[in-house]
Amino acid sequence: MRRGRGAFRFVAMASFPTTPGAREHTYDAIVIGSGISGGWAAKELCDRGLRTLVLERGRNVEHLKDYPTAVANPWDLPRRGRLTHEIVSANPIAKKCYAFDEATSHFFVKDAEHPYQQEKPFDWIRGYQVGGKSIIWARQTQRWSRFDFEGPARDGFAEWPIGYEDLAPWYSHVERFSGISGNRDGLEELPDGEFLPPWEFNTVERHMRGGIEKAFAGRKVVIGRCAHLTEPQPIHLEQGRGKCQARNLCYRGCPFGAYFSSVSSTLPWAARTGRLTLRPNSVVESILHDSATGRASGVRVVDALTRQVTEFHARVIFVNAACLNTNLILLNSRSARFPAGLGDDHGLLGRYVAFHNYRGSLSASMDGFLDAYYRGRRPTQAMMPNFRNLRRQETDFPRGYMVFFSAYRPGWTQGEGTPGVGAAYKERITQPGPWRISMMMQGETVPRRENHVRLSSEHKDPWGIPQLVTSIGYTDDDVRMVKDFLREGEAMLTAAGAKGIRTLDDKRNPGLDIHEMGGVRMGKDPKKSLLNRWNQLHACPNVYVTDGASMASTGVQNPSLTFMALAARAANHAADEMKKGIL
Amino acid sequence: MTRRELLLRSARLAGVASIWAALPARTWGALPAPAGWSADEEKALDLIGDTILPETPGSPGAASVGIGRFIARMTEDCFAPEAGVALRRGLREIETAARAAHGRAWLQLSTAEREALLTAYETRSKPATAGGVNPFAHLKRLTLLGYFTSEQGATKALRYDPVPGTYLGGFPLAAGDRAWAQ
Repeated sequence: MRRGRGAFRFVAMASFPTTPGAREHTYDAIVIGSGISGGWAAKELCDRGLRTLVLERGRNVEHLKDYPTAVANPWDLPRRGRLTHEIVSANPIAKKCYAFDEATSHFFVKDAEHPYQQEKPFDWIRGYQVGGKSIIWARQTQRWSRFDFEGPARDGFAEWPIGYEDLAPWYSHVERFSGISGNRDGLEELPDGEFLPPWEFNTVERHMRGGIEKAFAGRKVVIGRCAHLTEPQPIHLEQGRGKCQARNLCYRGCPFGAYFSSVSSTLPWAARTGRLTLRPNSVVESILHDSATGRASGVRVVDALTRQVTEFHARVIFVNAACLNTNLILLNSRSARFPAGLGDDHGLLGRYVAFHNYRGSLSASMDGFLDAYYRGRRPTQAMMPNFRNLRRQETDFPRGYMVFFSAYRPGWTQGEGTPGVGAAYKERITQPGPWRISMMMQGETVPRRENHVRLSSEHKDPWGIPQLVTSIGYTDDDVRMVKDFLREGEAMLTAAGAKGIRTLDDKRNPGLDIHEMGGVRMGKDPKKSLLNRWNQLHACPNVYVTDGASMASTGVQNPSLTFMALAARAANHAADEMKKGIL
Repeated sequence: MTRRELLLRSARLAGVASIWAALPARTWGALPAPAGWSADEEKALDLIGDTILPETPGSPGAASVGIGRFIARMTEDCFAPEAGVALRRGLREIETAARAAHGRAWLQLSTAEREALLTAYETRSKPATAGGVNPFAHLKRLTLLGYFTSEQGATKALRYDPVPGTYLGGFPLAAGDRAWAQ
């Protein structure tokens, strides 16, 4: 049963539920991680009447109170948003993230704070705080379609144990509460949701949509779907959240609570039930396995500040530490029953990690439309659902990609590329420049056995936990997909009337997409997967993994909405099973 | 209506009036002078910035927002040491060019002389090689950033719309309308 290490005497006593200490350390449910999926697990478990402990490795962040830059004007920021050379030099990884700047850097993990070993280059972008990366996410929220769920089996590389119809009601459940804006487009490859009013195209984007859809049968341009309250409903006002003001300063935290995050929405909601205990600065070292019951009995926590070790116990444990840290915790949860890590009977844990392919992008200009402009800063773009290999294999690479684009008129930033000085120069660059277009891809990559993470045998992190080794790379298929996107992107921009088209393969490292998924994948066959259709470990059913680690494939959609739906569905399953006495 | 009142009104409309009281009203103010830069150097930089972006009807010039100190401070804080070396080289080259062409110091030149000199300097200046810094491009970049993100630059030379309220995709543009500030 328990390891009788002398140093943990007090903790060991806590394993007997009759002592007062034990009661303080025992909950109905434990959720590891307070990000987008952990917040959802906590909300659902608390709503279902379960006393829930949420363990967060980072500091506490309270909605509004801990957004120090949320209403800062550009001139209020000493370096006008730019990072110091010192910070840039010290953070070769974090600095690559587009959202890491003077106004947001307090929400990103600095490179030195949590080291890891890159066997292959992997840019691991992390947010260790209550709310996790839900404070700094890009907030685009498309449902997966049946093609995303069924394609991997068609192509023979993975088998989802659930389909679109299993998740559809849970998409609705999380969409209503979170608040998702979007247009009902009626597309099978991009299913509609419970939408608040959509954002608008601008004049040039509408023109481009016409050109692209006319030239390419079956390709659709829709306005992006995102977790912003365009028209708050009573359920959102009840959360204290208001309408999106189109400031697009979201990465600082929203003073209106207009975009969805754990700290603006699910965690305060869970707290109001009186059943939530939130414990920041709690690094989970491992999950404890009880060989007598065949179940997990609790977790071992290292205090991030004092390094004091404590154990907590519960009937069910949700692992929502974000994809790679969820893998790390399970790999580090070794026992006589599971010497390779919790739930791993077939050498699969940490394997089949995948990500989204973002390497390709295009830029162009559009002549004319000089009397058209826009007002406000829209938190989304035009989207094109996948049109590659959708119903059958058609190209020299597997799977497909989404396309995102937007049109804009540069302001003063055009001054850098404009020669000249003086009054006429100033006059010219303070008027909107000619229309510009940017276009990017979001491609599915195929999870492969060799793309994996594992524990380092030599290096430990500051909390005495083995560091993670990342061994995740591209394949030739991924490169062929980039080439296809750049070719198709150029053709579509040409059809839309754009000029001066430039293509770019930035050859970025995996990880910078911040869409890492897998390693603890769901599946039908316990020999080929770690989680069942309810996100329970096949071999330890009171442990649920409902973050990106659980994904059997990546799809082409932004993933967070699916993590939310999986977490809510699994939490309700756990509550049902506990009620029945099964868990 | 002040910005804070505007924000309060928006918040009230959104049904979340109480939030502003909870927010930290935090401003940092101007950066202190950078070490190693003399008042004369800051003055020379002020005049370079003001030549690139002078006072025009309705908006002040870059010198009035303290562009010299901003350029020096940002160069020290946000760039590798080579940028500071290049910036000083740029100042020397501008001073040398002023004396060669007019027999007077940069600070003594007329507006027309300064504009002609910087125009020639920009035309002559080579694009930076990998890892190198083009002094004029550096000066221009920081002048633009410092001016258009200052309160005067953002609100007078551009249109500053801190709380747009919504996004209008078909907003018209009339002749002379300014671009939005960031």
